[in-house]
Amino acid sequence: MGQYILRRLLNAIPILVVVSIIIFLFLHMIPGDPARIAAGPDATAQEIEFTRVRLGLDKPLYVQYFIFIRNLVTGNLGVSNRTGMSVASEIGQHLWPTVQLTILSIVWAVIIGMVVGVVAALYRSRWPDVVGMVGSVTGISIPDMWLGMILIEFFAVRLGWFPVAGYGGWGHIIMPSFTLGLGVAAVTARFARTSVIEVLEEDYVRTARAKGLPRRKVIWKHALRNALIPVITMTGLQFGFLLGGAVVTETVFNWPGIGQLLVQSVEYRDYPTVQALMMLFSVEFILINLLVDVLYAVVNPRIQLR
Amino acid sequence: MPAKTKVAILAVAMIAAAGGITACGGSTNSGGSTAGNHAASGSGQNSTGSGTAAGGSSNGVLTVALNGNPTTTDPYDTQDNLSYTIEKTMYQGLLGFDKNMKIVPVLAQSYTVAPDAKSITFTLRQGIKFADGTPFNAEAVKVNLDRAKDPNSHLKRYSLFSMISQVKVLGDYKVEVDLNQPFGAIAGNFAHPAAMMISPKALQEYGSKVAQHPDGTGPYEFVYWKDGSDLLVKQNPNYWGTKTNVKEIDFKFVPDEATSVSMLESGEAQFVFPIPTDQVSSLQSNSDIVVKHTPSIVVDYIAFNTTVKPFNNPLVRQAINYAIDKNGFVQVVDNGFAQPATSAIAPNTWGYAKQPPYDANIQKAKDLLKQAGYPNGFTATLVSSNASGTVKADQFIQQQLQQVGITVNIQPLDSATLDSEIFVPASQSKLQMYFGGWSPSTGDADWGLRPLLTKADFPPTGYNLGFYTDPVVEQAIQAGLDTADPTKRQQAYATAQAQIWKDAPWAFLVVPDNVFAYRSNLQGAYVMPDSTLSLNNASFTN
Repeated sequence: MGQYILRRLLNAIPILVVVSIIIFLFLHMIPGDPARIAAGPDATAQEIEFTRVRLGLDKPLYVQYFIFIRNLVTGNLGVSNRTGMSVASEIGQHLWPTVQLTILSIVWAVIIGMVVGVVAALYRSRWPDVVGMVGSVTGISIPDMWLGMILIEFFAVRLGWFPVAGYGGWGHIIMPSFTLGLGVAAVTARFARTSVIEVLEEDYVRTARAKGLPRRKVIWKHALRNALIPVITMTGLQFGFLLGGAVVTETVFNWPGIGQLLVQSVEYRDYPTVQALMMLFSVEFILINLLVDVLYAVVNPRIQLR
Repeated sequence: MPAKTKVAILAVAMIAAAGGITACGGSTNSGGSTAGNHAASGSGQNSTGSGTAAGGSSNGVLTVALNGNPTTTDPYDTQDNLSYTIEKTMYQGLLGFDKNMKIVPVLAQSYTVAPDAKSITFTLRQGIKFADGTPFNAEAVKVNLDRAKDPNSHLKRYSLFSMISQVKVLGDYKVEVDLNQPFGAIAGNFAHPAAMMISPKALQEYGSKVAQHPDGTGPYEFVYWKDGSDLLVKQNPNYWGTKTNVKEIDFKFVPDEATSVSMLESGEAQFVFPIPTDQVSSLQSNSDIVVKHTPSIVVDYIAFNTTVKPFNNPLVRQAINYAIDKNGFVQVVDNGFAQPATSAIAPNTWGYAKQPPYDANIQKAKDLLKQAGYPNGFTATLVSSNASGTVKADQFIQQQLQQVGITVNIQPLDSATLDSEIFVPASQSKLQMYFGGWSPSTGDADWGLRPLLTKADFPPTGYNLGFYTDPVVEQAIQAGLDTADPTKRQQAYATAQAQIWKDAPWAFLVVPDNVFAYRSNLQGAYVMPDSTLSLNNASFTN
């Protein structure tokens, strides 16, 4: 398996090179002059030119790309146009809150989603199934913005159980992670239900039942383990998306995550930060895909990694 | 190891990891932000932390919810009011503004502008120290101004100091600033928050990185700045003025206005600006909250491209001024929290001269259009930012102009794209109408008119987006700079404003109010006309 992982990591290098070129070109193609923005609304021509030189935007495009790659390879992500802080420290400040939010959201999603999905599958076409699936459609349909504001109104303003917004302890993370996790839970529930129903109709489940195994053992040992595979894939992908930041939820709860950083940086045409974030997202997705493939093998030993 | 056990271990590990992670964030508060605090170089670690102050009580911590993120803490490199709001708690200028934008001495005891407007002399207050202990004196002023006037410092506010030729230290507490041309509005430039004094020691030590190590003479000193989260300041032990019972101010950056309002309601924040005008009535019914609104110095306007048809005809521009019901604009767009504009600058700006109103008059507008050769109106595009309040204004204008046969296509753009549309030379400009607002933060008519309505400020570099120029206006604005005599300056700007009003290079719309709210146990905190906050005299009543 070690060799397999190494090979996958090496394969990632050409992918990242292509990604870096695409990111760089796209960023320079969208309208907006970073020097003009950084210099401010009532800057004079001279001040704008000063800013352009300071940001290195006066250099030819290929030189700028070369500097970007050279810095990347040496682990230097540059300096943000927007705050003047190093991009690495800026991303560091925002990445950790996002990782926390993502993990807790996935925990919500897996717990709620699996319970609802499995129960719905086991009681297929009976009332728990109907309730679960109506709930899941509702969960998918509720906009994060709305859910977030409702949670704030009831649990923060009226009941005072949690703080309205901001970043801090357990109290701060409960509402945003639930807001974010509920949508994922809804999707997870539907995946889990379909998957469990399919597996329950497999021959080996019938065999297991036929040979007189208790129902609980059939479900836990034979059905659920196999039903987990599509759920893991889906959760892994959602994990990747959430790590890219959740702009709406972050905005409503004033959570200092990657999503807010990305939006601000794009608005500000803060090239160094946007480039660094895009590279980070690419690396995250490559690693998560790898992790998902490894998890397959752990869950189902018949899957061999080559 | 059986596969079942593996899955179980995996699941347990995942939950434990999640638990560990959040617990970690909870206990240290700044746990996740050490990378950011390294910018604050250690000083961040002394923080007493700023957990949530539940309810209205605050333990001497004033939490202010601001609608966005600061860009810097270096006044000379700042272009936005939000950053100035924060800087003003740590820094002070030689001069400043009072509640009504009148210039008052702060670190200076007194000042005199030479009659030829070619120099300004300050007598400084004595016995003042910066937060790091460095004494404030004439040398410190010189260090700051030498940096500000040097184009190689690449500071964003260079244009406010570019007219300084030299700074002369006349004594320990006396400085003369010489200008290379007459500049009658110079006192306003020194009252502008961009001219606040930084500790010379900090400047020397940190150079261009001083924005991460702010150090001034203000009542508060820097603790930490976490991007996207908050910036904390605490009482400066060296402060020369009266200290209040506000020990720390925590500026929270809250992008969503509805969230700020909820924070105020729950007591997590004690001061919020801006308050969305449609939320005012619901907040007013809460006895723990005080809502206030005061006039700003912002003028909202539509600029017409005076170089293209049909807007090159003053009759068309006047017709549009008559077609728009300004009182209706106030009610519909600003929910009543604004005043119709009565000149190109707001009443709180120095040099303002009231003009006869363009009262809403559809018939007159139609007659003027007919006279100009457009009896059936025309079609034009209006560009603006894509902020929701702005789009509402666009739609109102669209509806109003429809009544006189002018079809307006609205084009709201994100700020970077908008900039690339409007900051182009006249020959390439496709602009017809632009909706926007301007806040002259020197508080002087010069900064309210010159950057927007003179030839020297045509795009791509200036803000005269409609390429308006008129000899009478050019001359009057220059005359306002050539003297330090307030009466002559006032006359010059009155002439300029009358001519601008008649020529109507803009549709003059409204002067919006600053709407803010705070917990009722807070006093002495307010929003200045220039839309920065004044927090230095804030205190809690319990």
